[in-house]
Amino acid sequence: MDNGSRIPASGSRQVAEVQAPARPPQHEKYPWPEKSRLLGTRVSRIDGPMKVSGRAKYSYDIVRPGMLYGRILRSPHAHARLKSIDASAAEKAPGVKALLITIKPGEKVMFPGEEIGALAAATEQQAADALRMIKVEWEVLPALANVEQAMRPEAPQVFTPANTRRGTAQEDGDLAAGFKSAAFTVEGTYSTQVQTHTSLETHGCVCEWNGDNLTAWVSTQAVHGTREGFAQGLKIPQANVRVITEFMGGGFGSKFGPDMQGLLCARLAKAANAPVKLMLDRKEEHLATGNRPSAFAKVKAGVSADGKLTAFDATTWGTGGAGAGSDYPLPYIYVFPNRRRMHTDVYINSGQQRAMRAPGHPQGCFVTEVLMDELADQVRMDPMEFRLKNLPPLAPNAMWAKYFPMGAERINWKSRHVTGDPTPGPIKRGLGCSANRWGGAGTGARAHCEIASDGSVVMRCGTQDIGTGNRTIMAMVVAETLGLEVPQITIELGDSHHPFAPGSGGSTTAAAVMPAMRVTAGKARDALFERIAPQLGVAATEINIGVGEVHVVSPSTPDSSASGQTASRSGQAPILRRVAWRDACKMLGTVPVSVDGQWERGLSAGGTSGVQFAEVEVDIETGITKVKKIVCVQDCGLVVDLKTAETQCHGGIISGVNYGVFEERILDRNTANMVNPNMEWYHMAGQSDIPEIDVVLVDTPERGVIGIGEPPAVATAAAVANAIRNATGVTLRNIPITPDKLLTELERAGGTN
Amino acid sequence: MARKKIDESRRDFLKTVGVVASASASLTIAPEARARQALATLGPGEVPVTLTINGRRHQLNVEPRVTLLDAMRTRLEITGQKRVCDRGACGACTVIIEGRTYYSCSMLAIEAQGKNIRTVDGLANGSTLHPVQQAFCDNDGLMCGFCTPGFVMATVALLEKNPNPTPEQAKRALDGNLCRCGTNIGVLKAALAVKGGARG
Ligand code: FES
Ligand code: FES
Repeated sequence: MDNGSRIPASGSRQVAEVQAPARPPQHEKYPWPEKSRLLGTRVSRIDGPMKVSGRAKYSYDIVRPGMLYGRILRSPHAHARLKSIDASAAEKAPGVKALLITIKPGEKVMFPGEEIGALAAATEQQAADALRMIKVEWEVLPALANVEQAMRPEAPQVFTPANTRRGTAQEDGDLAAGFKSAAFTVEGTYSTQVQTHTSLETHGCVCEWNGDNLTAWVSTQAVHGTREGFAQGLKIPQANVRVITEFMGGGFGSKFGPDMQGLLCARLAKAANAPVKLMLDRKEEHLATGNRPSAFAKVKAGVSADGKLTAFDATTWGTGGAGAGSDYPLPYIYVFPNRRRMHTDVYINSGQQRAMRAPGHPQGCFVTEVLMDELADQVRMDPMEFRLKNLPPLAPNAMWAKYFPMGAERINWKSRHVTGDPTPGPIKRGLGCSANRWGGAGTGARAHCEIASDGSVVMRCGTQDIGTGNRTIMAMVVAETLGLEVPQITIELGDSHHPFAPGSGGSTTAAAVMPAMRVTAGKARDALFERIAPQLGVAATEINIGVGEVHVVSPSTPDSSASGQTASRSGQAPILRRVAWRDACKMLGTVPVSVDGQWERGLSAGGTSGVQFAEVEVDIETGITKVKKIVCVQDCGLVVDLKTAETQCHGGIISGVNYGVFEERILDRNTANMVNPNMEWYHMAGQSDIPEIDVVLVDTPERGVIGIGEPPAVATAAAVANAIRNATGVTLRNIPITPDKLLTELERAGGTN
Repeated sequence: MARKKIDESRRDFLKTVGVVASASASLTIAPEARARQALATLGPGEVPVTLTINGRRHQLNVEPRVTLLDAMRTRLEITGQKRVCDRGACGACTVIIEGRTYYSCSMLAIEAQGKNIRTVDGLANGSTLHPVQQAFCDNDGLMCGFCTPGFVMATVALLEKNPNPTPEQAKRALDGNLCRCGTNIGVLKAALAVKGGARG
């Protein structure tokens, strides 16, 4: 980046999928039960009552005594050099208690919304008033508002060393031979838009100092990562920082650290010697807290006469904003034996990208899957048959060949007509399909479990529940392991004072935290047995867990070591005596069982696969697409809570519908300012736009727990695009497929009559 | 009846804006003009405001430009309704006033005086959830939960007006609310599950 720019260039890499074995060997000491009592059932989320009653306090809701309100001063320009800044009037404005300017004359801003200062005042209104009193003079510099502008040979050089960064070519096989063996080829340029995360709770926090110690209530997906971020950014020991996130209103990959607003909030609180709340407003959220990069792909692909993919040649580019990467996986899933791909990151003057719900995958999926339908038409094959012919072999993490027929059945694929609905009238119906893959493996979570003499169980883990249901499935695993019911378990999370757990990204949380729950609860159970064995007058190895009670079992039973399986074992050994859970715990006296545990191998895995089918109705007179139905066949290893796992799928699918037909960040081509930084022109599905959704969760418990947050979000837009193509007969290689684009394309294809 | 109400509220109005002391000077002015003059003097500083929220009266001082939502959230710590778009697009701030839903981000606190304002915070009866709240829990009509208070209030308002909505009617009634996590399937199920069973 150019001299004077203050934002770091981030590499082209996005959040990587954690590599883990597709099918791990079983954990020796605490394997998942063969027959579970709770796992895989439908349990309502345990924080539901808090959330539906308004009692759940989010960071946005925290009010501290004497709390001030912070606001950030931002650049109105896409690219400009600061001439002067005068905050003297603002400093004296009513209610203002602290003011920071973080830019010096001569320095540059690189995108609209870049932070240049902040202040804190007694009320939000006073903070807003004072902010307007800061006089800033800029030398406005030429800006790049889109990839076309940035890639022109005569474009001003805005970024250093260049406006673009070429990656290395990825090549496999013999491309020339591949095209030679092709009977047909398809060539086209495919593209996807920039979308913003649009979490309903904006980024921000409340910061309060007590001497040198900072407590921060932060809307974050990573309490421990954010503690580290505060410590580094403020140059204080991590020991002095506590981050709390009891509830948070969505992040989707955009909330992993304190960010600039967190550090500014902490500094304002220090300067004002008072707690400060600094939550971004909706516009700031769109401009400066991340987005999914755009993707462009100029593709040529070949297919043999008998429907085998032969070659794939792509030049791709995209923008992740000011100095950030935009790479994505391509081709996606299907086997092109000969292929080449070259990707170029293009930098423009807009906010930097961040990981967003399955980073890279929806882009790669859209490009490849639409191309697949076009190729299938070339060889006059059913698009699903064509896919089945070109899939990689079946494997635990690659089950598409099995799932496609399952989904086809449920969407009534038999009723599909060839491209272009022949039915007269303006409403055209169509079906489409696509596939997805994801990692979803996790490691590294630690936990602490206490069993008290009154029978209560507390599990503490420094993970967070970002809306996925983590809290609930944690309680389910603990309850299953201890033979208790879910409401008997107290889960404490969202606090960096609890044992370390990784951030919630890449759908890794369930796979990281559930093994820690299983192991830690198992250890607590064993410790309980050790403690009460003398009073029961038996060896610890002769005690088992029942349901709501512990069992003294015959010592001669071979499978009676206290470390064997909970549920199955209690069924096998002859029970000599039953002791109610409470009575057993009473034997502990005042000293509770207190054990630490952590993630261990053999309880979770990585690598999921899924397919989706879409049914749409397109009104070719208005260009409006109505997504009628989505069928989703998806695996995620061992399903812990069927209810919340299905909701995860609904959520992913709805976000895919948005990506396919509604949402787009639109920048003014002259100023690079976002023209829809709100929620009325940044379109998202409302209740009437929601399709019927049919989810089939394929339970594969032998694989252990795998994350499910992201995979269902990948394939929807592509399936919808293919269904629109099937309905209308026109090919749109660009999402979102909005009425204007559809009408233009229909017109080009010969009008709508 | 209606007439009396107006007079009363005007008297309250004059009192709250603190022009009573100078009232003698304006005795000769017609009541309408006096009200208009009072309006002109409202703010920019804080003015006393009385809000009746979930059956409780709250007296507070806010600048006239403060929205009902912000007054509740920042002054009264009634934080059930959320601020998300702050301009009438998402419904997270939905409250019920006299049987109708309002975006509390798009209404001034001073406008909401003398009215019965209901928020999600007042729905439950102790630890017993309102049937709509219970239905949201049972049907998993929530994930992160940030949109949920708005959806719950919109559903309550719908069912109080129309206890047996069709799916189409329920969808329309909830079209003013947005959820980014994508809980809409559970939300609709919840709205239809309480059919006819909503408590007043
Ligand atoms: S916050 Fe009021 S409608 Fe969005
Ligand atoms: S539940 Fe998260 S926005 Fe609706």
